[in-house]
Amino acid sequence: MKLTELFRQGKFVITSEVGPVKGCSRVNGGPPPEFIQEAVNIKDFVDAVNVTDNQSAVMRLGSLAASVLLKQQGIEPIFQMTCRDRNRLALQSDLLSACTLGIDNVLCLTGDHIKLGDHVASKPVFDIDSVHLLHIARGLNQGRDMMGNPLSRATDLALGAVVNPNFEPLDLQIMKMEKKIEQGAEFFQTQAVYDPKVFETFVRRAEGFRVPIQYGLVVIKSPKMAQYMNEHVSGITVPEALIKEMASVPADGYKAKAQEITLRLARELGTMVQGIHFMPLGWSELVPPVVTELRKLGK
Amino acid sequence: MIGTTKKPLEEVLAALEGYHRIFLVGCDGCAKICMTGGVDEVAALAQELARAGKDIICEATPERTCNVAKSGPVLEPLQDKIAAADALLVLGCGGAVQIARQVTEKMGFTKPVKVGLNSVGHMDTLVPGTMAMEECSDCGECILNETGGICPVTRCAKSLLNGPCGGAEQGKCEVDPERDCAWVLIYNRMAALGELDRLKRYLEPKDYGKAARPRVLFIKEGRVA
Repeated sequence: MKLTELFRQGKFVITSEVGPVKGCSRVNGGPPPEFIQEAVNIKDFVDAVNVTDNQSAVMRLGSLAASVLLKQQGIEPIFQMTCRDRNRLALQSDLLSACTLGIDNVLCLTGDHIKLGDHVASKPVFDIDSVHLLHIARGLNQGRDMMGNPLSRATDLALGAVVNPNFEPLDLQIMKMEKKIEQGAEFFQTQAVYDPKVFETFVRRAEGFRVPIQYGLVVIKSPKMAQYMNEHVSGITVPEALIKEMASVPADGYKAKAQEITLRLARELGTMVQGIHFMPLGWSELVPPVVTELRKLGK
Repeated sequence: MIGTTKKPLEEVLAALEGYHRIFLVGCDGCAKICMTGGVDEVAALAQELARAGKDIICEATPERTCNVAKSGPVLEPLQDKIAAADALLVLGCGGAVQIARQVTEKMGFTKPVKVGLNSVGHMDTLVPGTMAMEECSDCGECILNETGGICPVTRCAKSLLNGPCGGAEQGKCEVDPERDCAWVLIYNRMAALGELDRLKRYLEPKDYGKAARPRVLFIKEGRVA
């Protein structure tokens, strides 16, 4: 099911995210890899699950293979695709493969730089940017490759994109968002935002575009993790007040506190837009109770 | 200019292993600016190599070693020295090394031509004698007219053509917090010029065919093939 269809129906779209394992995930009768189990556990509470593409430039199981594994479990995957590791031939080819293997949703991103990952000597590709990727993916949906060559059969993919409301100057980020829409973006997931004012300012700038937006929320798991994100994860700022709030409980209470904060932010910020995208970083068990509360609000 | 850095002495000595009589070639162009291969650096390395037991039989530093019109006239009168050398060591960019090799081959010599520097790219001098920065990628399809005279292909770590990624913070790049986000620089420049509308235009993917190596420049025709 395409996410765009859910938005069209006026549904408040809730998605979550898993990161493929660093390793082969052939099951051979054993238990499924953890990320699949994680997705299975939340399957009845979310509309779809993002599958990250060598997240943070760390080499892992491929996003397409992992997306197909999710699909086989009855979970709707959102296949994340970055421009970091593949040139325009490989990206187009993988879009054809994705559609062939039953993928309905693709999230087109630039990708974290190689230098942030575990293969720093690798050659960064960045042959095209995320705006180009959207343009090209739309072309494949219309039955032609980026050189204008006809396809024997067009793809049929819902095209998602990302935007960072924390970016300064916001005007520049909005400019890129508009380009993404012009080139084919049909829905957006935002970078994690914790400051309601920042998100409200962004929403006011973006609501005229009439493209559905999902509020992005990385679950804060501990004060240390929040501090780490502030220091090492570009484009995300966790306000001091939130870090203090997390630190106000003992370590064995972090999960309960994380759930409380996640629900609060989802209510306050998520309801400003058309959906929420959770990034639980392994704490997927928080998603069902938070979603249950949100659905009670009619979301 | 072409930026260069010195290879460690041990690496140079390893490259010269088995060769005793050495002909040193510098470059009084880019390598002089980088303080890696001008007359002074050639003389300094000559002393170090001599201390390591090498016999430095000649030092020559053409104005631009990468240009046969400059290196040929300097090396040709020194043919007897080249003949006596076991190897040449060039303190220049990779281009200078290869032109020096071609000049010696043209003179009928088959001598090892070794390199003493690492080439680190097309560099533009910001602070003379102190700092140069890569500002142009020689892509063959200049877009500076669209980006306020600041090149995103080179100065954005991801070579993004249609705006910034989401990773910059306080105007700094996600790859290096000391480095300015090229797109914030471009935005500020275009805003100052009153040309922000121009920035909203979609820029097509680059034609990397124009940068496909090895390129040959036919100077008279102004043609690249």
